[in-house]
Amino acid sequence: MTALVRAEWTKLFTTRVWIGLLAGACLLAGGSAALVTGLAGQPGGPPPVGTAQFEQLALAVASNAAVLSLILGIIGMTQEYRHRTATPTFLTTPRRGRVVVAKLLAYGLAGVPFALLVTAVTATVVTVYAGARGAAPSLTGDNLQVLVFAGLAIVVYTVIGVGLGALMRNQVGAIVGALVYLYVVEPLLSSFQATVDVFRWLPGGALRALTTTAGGPPGVTLDLLERWQGGLLLLGYGLVAAVLGTLLAVRRDVV
Amino acid sequence: MCPGSRSGSPDTRVGMPAAPGRALGWTRRPADDEESAIQPGSSPHRGPVRVEVRGLTKSFGAVRAVDDLSFTVEPGSITGFLGPNGAGKTTTLRMALGLERPDAGTATFDGVPYPALPAPVRTVGAVLETAFHPARSGRNHLRVYCRAAGLPPSRADEVLAQVGLAEAGRRRAGGYSLGMRQRLALATALLGDPAVLVLDEPANGLDPEGIHWLRGFLRHLAHDQGRTVLVSSHLLAEMEQTADRVVIVGAGQLVREGSLAELRSGAQGSGAVLARSPEAGRLAEVLGAAGFTLVPPDDDLVTVTGTTPAAVGAQAFRAGVELHELRAETSGLEELYFRLTAGQEQYAAPQGGAR
Repeated sequence: MTALVRAEWTKLFTTRVWIGLLAGACLLAGGSAALVTGLAGQPGGPPPVGTAQFEQLALAVASNAAVLSLILGIIGMTQEYRHRTATPTFLTTPRRGRVVVAKLLAYGLAGVPFALLVTAVTATVVTVYAGARGAAPSLTGDNLQVLVFAGLAIVVYTVIGVGLGALMRNQVGAIVGALVYLYVVEPLLSSFQATVDVFRWLPGGALRALTTTAGGPPGVTLDLLERWQGGLLLLGYGLVAAVLGTLLAVRRDVV
Repeated sequence: MCPGSRSGSPDTRVGMPAAPGRALGWTRRPADDEESAIQPGSSPHRGPVRVEVRGLTKSFGAVRAVDDLSFTVEPGSITGFLGPNGAGKTTTLRMALGLERPDAGTATFDGVPYPALPAPVRTVGAVLETAFHPARSGRNHLRVYCRAAGLPPSRADEVLAQVGLAEAGRRRAGGYSLGMRQRLALATALLGDPAVLVLDEPANGLDPEGIHWLRGFLRHLAHDQGRTVLVSSHLLAEMEQTADRVVIVGAGQLVREGSLAELRSGAQGSGAVLARSPEAGRLAEVLGAAGFTLVPPDDDLVTVTGTTPAAVGAQAFRAGVELHELRAETSGLEELYFRLTAGQEQYAAPQGGAR
């Protein structure tokens, strides 16, 4: 299994996809951290610099990068089918379940430095910018917890991406489907009181429970799960995607 | 490497490889039982491996792509897997390699199905399609599979040199010509120094020089090193020059299996027999009365189909007809192939003649 995990890392690091996604993730997280910090305290903006709400909100934007780690996972799996390398891959390892498990491990582990870098960039931007505006947040206690959970979300989303890729196999379809789901379906569900009970249990709801303290849109009580519950639920989704993806990869013909 | 390979177009300037298979070091040693226990440079497969396909069957919807197909591939020879496009060759190979699930039947390598082989790439190397990530270099592509199979990464450079891609190895594979892609696919198959090579249409996209090289390479692997080589093709002419034996399929069914010489000579009663006699008319009468199928005599020439020279000679001898020439038609392999695979009723059964 070690050999297979290392083979997946060789695949990952011998194309440049990871550089683009990592750079994008850092830009996204750093940019939104700067935006939140810059607007802090303005009327209608985030809470003022120096408050606990501001600090947690600003640090939690690191979790926005989860969408890019999701895409990393999706590409990692679906590129085998897109470029038809699934054939040599499964010829080398005919027990296909081992390939999918190796991918899940490889991408889960690769997600850790990815998450570390993204959270580090976020923390740096917030610390420096908020410091310049009067009060740098301490990276301890609740603030640290927010960063850790944002990083955890990034890692779990990578794993979900691999599982989703194994389910869908079509790269464009999987990425478009995931984006539509995350940015159209879930926001829709989360914006009405009647559907919020459903949203709470979905991956996006779990992500929000894990990483944010903010409430829902006006007039809607989100009533999210506890942070640890959200984290567990998200892990559960990652696991389900992984198991389903593995089963399907083993059963379906490689075409 | 040929001069000018740096400035030339990547299409044809692949460069000639070193002597085919020189770096293979294929030896017969007992098999390792775990992929992780592989020592650099060792060749842990078990020597010659026979491939047996038994009753393979697969349908896609209403179409029966492969229909109760059985054949055997022997070590030390090149077996051509011949059939028109859509005859089920690729599906058969993919089922044999565990990529597609057969509805029925088995394919085994020395009695072991591919997915159950302890070290599959060291037993079987397969070229099924030219599959690689376009942004990854050929060398890195190979190193991925070295890692996955527990082979030393140096194997990547060895096989690149073997197929004549040493110089192109560090370039993005997406920029390779079709011929170079075929060579990279072949290099991937050779990584594990396998006892069996399975190649699906490997000549596609190769230029004449590449085809000539491939032919020599495969002969070396089979004849000099005793490996088992199975090559599919829809081109009879290519197989005539490469294969020792052929397995001909049409519409998913086995049409004929045997050595090319046998097929050509009509020893299985599949060709035409030409007989020249000063008494051509009487010879035709005698043969016709004995139930042979023949075309009307043309001057002194009688053409008999669906039988062997031996059968015709025996009949003529019994009837006391003088023969001046008796031979199997050797030029008609193309026609034979066409006839064998053209339509259902024509390959349903060979016409018996006087057997």
